[in-house]
Amino acid sequence: MSALSLHDLHALSPYLILVLTALCILLLEAFSSPLAHRFSASLTFLALAIALYAAYFAPASENRLLTPWLRFDALGRVFNLLFLGIGVFSTLLSAAFFQRFKKVSRGEYFFLFLSALFGLLLIGAAADFLILFLGFETLSISLYVLCGYMKKWTMSHESAMKYFFTGAIAAAFLLYGIALIYGAVGTTHLPSLNGAYHALATSSDQALFLAGIAFVTIGLAFKAAIVPFHAWAPDVYDGSPNPVTAFMAVGTKTGAFVAFSTIFLESLLQFDRFWNEGMAVLAYLTLLYGNFVALRQRQLRRFFAYSGISHAGFLMIPLVASTSDALPALLFYVVVYALATFGSFAILAPLDHREEGVLLEDLRGLFQRAPLQATILALCLLTLGGIPPTAGFLAKFAIFKVGFEAGYYGLVTVGLLTTVLSAYYYLRIVGAMLSASTETSKQVPPLPTAAFVGLVSFGAILLFSWFPAPLLALFLG
Amino acid sequence: MSLLMGLFSIPFLCSALLCICGGFSRKILKVLAVGCSFLPLLLLAYFHPLWVGSHVEFPWFPSLSIVFDLRVDPLSLLFVYLTALIIPLSLLAVPSADFPMPHFFYALALLLQGLLLGFFTAHDLVIFALFWEAMLIPLFFIISFWGGPQRQSAALKFILYMVAGSALMVAAVLALYFSSAAMSGSGTFNLDELSKGASQTPHAKWIGAIFLLAFAVKTPLFPFHAWLPDAYCQAPLPGTLLLSAILSKAGIYGILRIGMELFPSLLLAWGPLLLGLAIAGVFYGGLAAWKQNDFKRLIAYSSLSHVNFILAGLFVWNQTAHEGAILQALNHSITIAALFLAAGWLEERLGTASMNHIGGLAAYIPQLCWWTLFFVLSSVALPGLNNFVGEFLILFGLFADNPKTTALLGLTVILSVVYMLRWMQKVYFEEPQLQKKIEDMKGKERLLALSLAFLILWVGLYPAPALRYVQPAAQKIQGILKGENPL
Repeated sequence: MSALSLHDLHALSPYLILVLTALCILLLEAFSSPLAHRFSASLTFLALAIALYAAYFAPASENRLLTPWLRFDALGRVFNLLFLGIGVFSTLLSAAFFQRFKKVSRGEYFFLFLSALFGLLLIGAAADFLILFLGFETLSISLYVLCGYMKKWTMSHESAMKYFFTGAIAAAFLLYGIALIYGAVGTTHLPSLNGAYHALATSSDQALFLAGIAFVTIGLAFKAAIVPFHAWAPDVYDGSPNPVTAFMAVGTKTGAFVAFSTIFLESLLQFDRFWNEGMAVLAYLTLLYGNFVALRQRQLRRFFAYSGISHAGFLMIPLVASTSDALPALLFYVVVYALATFGSFAILAPLDHREEGVLLEDLRGLFQRAPLQATILALCLLTLGGIPPTAGFLAKFAIFKVGFEAGYYGLVTVGLLTTVLSAYYYLRIVGAMLSASTETSKQVPPLPTAAFVGLVSFGAILLFSWFPAPLLALFLG
Repeated sequence: MSLLMGLFSIPFLCSALLCICGGFSRKILKVLAVGCSFLPLLLLAYFHPLWVGSHVEFPWFPSLSIVFDLRVDPLSLLFVYLTALIIPLSLLAVPSADFPMPHFFYALALLLQGLLLGFFTAHDLVIFALFWEAMLIPLFFIISFWGGPQRQSAALKFILYMVAGSALMVAAVLALYFSSAAMSGSGTFNLDELSKGASQTPHAKWIGAIFLLAFAVKTPLFPFHAWLPDAYCQAPLPGTLLLSAILSKAGIYGILRIGMELFPSLLLAWGPLLLGLAIAGVFYGGLAAWKQNDFKRLIAYSSLSHVNFILAGLFVWNQTAHEGAILQALNHSITIAALFLAAGWLEERLGTASMNHIGGLAAYIPQLCWWTLFFVLSSVALPGLNNFVGEFLILFGLFADNPKTTALLGLTVILSVVYMLRWMQKVYFEEPQLQKKIEDMKGKERLLALSLAFLILWVGLYPAPALRYVQPAAQKIQGILKGENPL
């Protein structure tokens, strides 16, 4: 079999739908800007819905043109569904954003957004380092533009430039690492890496391979905003439009951790203790730094950057532990984190009306002005803080269990102690919502799409707080 | 669905119901909420003989081996009754005016009731830890939305103390799990299974200390009480009732359930130190109460003092003292609720809790004065009232072990008389200074006071029924220690 059959196209359908829709929107924008202005959001949503359906029913391809590059197994499908879900939520948040900022053109935005999402899907489906790299580049290049999408915001100029430069450096690291690995073992195919590494005879080859792994790790660490490669995140999150920040906080982070886990929890599971010890050091730094700096943030996009850094620290614990339970625990945490982050951004969306975004002061008295929204935001923040009885507690518990089992007691202890800090900064926001309403604070305008995201996140978090087992079983089987 | 599951779920369902009932008038809401909150008590009383031994068990989160395991034994039952009783009382204490969004308050209090019922019956360590922290959330909301002027900082201080106190609890839970896995092959969070081998766990001292710290902060044992005065005084009146009557008992229950059953030898070894801290706490609370010029703070410190008295009873390894401590835990809840209610009603009438410029109120509000005096006498352990039975048993048990310490602890009973009567004297019995007219007790308040007085007299005059449930609980603890150290 050399040519692609209909069956293969069916297997590829989620990716094709995204690319084709993206191109359609671009053409629409080129020929009829008003039409694109009106329909691109709904078109994107529709495409994502179809893609979700397609991804769920897509068969596995066995064509040798595809299998060396893309994975079609159960976990690959879970990744696809996860990323498409992230895409749906981001689209709805974007639509809400454009309702607040009516004059901004939309066609290009959704073209870029779909391209970025396509990149994410490639990361999840990668069976080869090159596809992985391609995925990251597609994601990043679209995001460079999206960060600076609000052309009149001066903050956005800085944000986009910063992201572009650090992203370029990260890409260089990643590519150079891949080259070194290829030099050492002669393959970039992920599933064969472990065997090839253990077959290496000379220590110089091993050193070459490990150097390659180190570069790849650094490249991914940039994307995941792991300390000390995090410096871009606060400024970039701060200067980007709200939905883009949400997409970066969830999508990029998930993408990076999915990449980490396909490489280090699947292909190279426990290939060398050295890597785990190195990651443990980074995890300590990330946990401590992210949590301490988040204590003092007032601008909420910036706040989410730091809280995101601290969550990256928690997500590193299963990577460090590298046990067989690590991957389900990591994915469970990612899903809970994604829901809670999207829920928070959905509630912030109607309050967002200026360049600086939402400040802590804007939330004062929210509970009296809009009790439902405040309840949703409070639940999301408690989930992010890992406070029982929310699913966030169970997600943290699963991660700590994995870390404890692997013997990283110090890491678990530091992780638990930093939850005290995170309890402070999340509850401070909740406290602000519960405080007396100030006179300057305005009524909250309704934004149906954002409200939908908020409600769905709220319902899902409640559901997973009561019935967490099915979600984890999804990642086990 | 078993009976216990019904008991556990009712408050959650009622809480959800009240959340969506925002449109009704205050009066209807209150009737609805109080009615809902009485449901567990009715259920408990109606099926009274069936409760001990009833249990719910299903694998909740199998891949983490967490089993949703609730079980009622005599000790649990006492605290379950307490929860079912105190929540309606605190809902009745909700002021009828100047209380924004009452339906959310009712929903939170009912949520708290459900979480507490789960906590007091949890038989799986993860479920226990989950409810342990979860119960803070409704209280945090209650303090920071309905509290006094400095409520924000008080609420944050409260919750940070609690979270910091139990931050490492998850690590301790996991350590027990993996040591049970090492011993028996498959890990478990079941408390019965864990109690077999917990003391032999490597680093058992550290694990036990982590748990004890969490319980000590919540109860609070001296010197972990710094959150208490602000939280008690800034919380709204019903919130104060919840904090003082229920939250402190969660810590005591934790010491009984986890400390005594899992780490008996550790508690025995640390007994003298902990006893010393508790007695220091009794004195500290009493002396601090003496110096207060704000009667709410005075009662807050008196609560600290009395709670440490209970802890002193727990830290003597003696069945009589344990019986006294468990009984006193219940008594203290009733008395402190009554005292805070009386103080709250007075504050509502005066607009201030300061004792500086008031006096002789007995002339204006005689009924409130005499009811307060009754509750004060209960608090200072007048024979014939409830606290006398509990404190007497504690002192009696302590005497068998250590007569000198008993003499010291006995002195604090005098101390409590001193500060309590000082309050009564200053506020009610000195020269009348008040110009304006104030209203005496209303019918609703009289009813509340009467029901509390009934409980106080019942335990005080005829403690046998209560002791019938206290005794097996205390005996179980004695049995555990005998199993540990066959001497």
